[in-house]
Amino acid sequence: MKKTSIRWPLAVALLGCALFAAGGIGRMAFDLELPAYVLLAAGCALFGGGLGDVLRRLALRSDPQLAKEVAIEEGDERNVSIANAAKAKAFDAMLLVYPPLLLVLALAGVEILPLLLVAAAYLFTVGVSIYWQARYRREG
Amino acid sequence: MKNRLEALRKARGIRQEELAAALEVSRQTIGSLENGRYNPSILLAFKIARYFGLAIEDIFIYEEGTS
Repeated sequence: MKKTSIRWPLAVALLGCALFAAGGIGRMAFDLELPAYVLLAAGCALFGGGLGDVLRRLALRSDPQLAKEVAIEEGDERNVSIANAAKAKAFDAMLLVYPPLLLVLALAGVEILPLLLVAAAYLFTVGVSIYWQARYRREG
Repeated sequence: MKNRLEALRKARGIRQEELAAALEVSRQTIGSLENGRYNPSILLAFKIARYFGLAIEDIFIYEEGTS
């Protein structure tokens, strides 16, 4: 059964508000730039995501028939199959994009730390893929 | 994979939406099943067969070389 409690999404939305306020205060009162903008952006993202989830859960809670239809659509095997196939294509595209990106960044003279971070992100994603392939083979 | 799903459904006077609700799948999945664009999982095939009171082979027609 899909979760209908709004406690955690509401907490996320409130956290977003707090981060947004902190970012605003940091920008206006202390004249901070980068940290303040990071807090503002994170606050907006958390608030939007949390509030959206709250509204979604309230709508589903008030209409059980709609909740059942949404659950069917989300669990429908064809929809799941399509989503997984699309994710697989996106992963293949990512494997093609990351190496040239690293090369371009290196040729552009980007510092070593961001290059290493991009390389680590690439290796982490490939590692996750290898892990889940091994696990699925072992399980069945 | 060819199947007799549409014929069976219409013979019983059931709409795609009703069949989808009974099988707990989307209407689009029923449509894709009927025109052969999507092959069901074994679980869904069993559900469909049980719904119509038939064997899977009576509904889905396996032909050599089909995927």
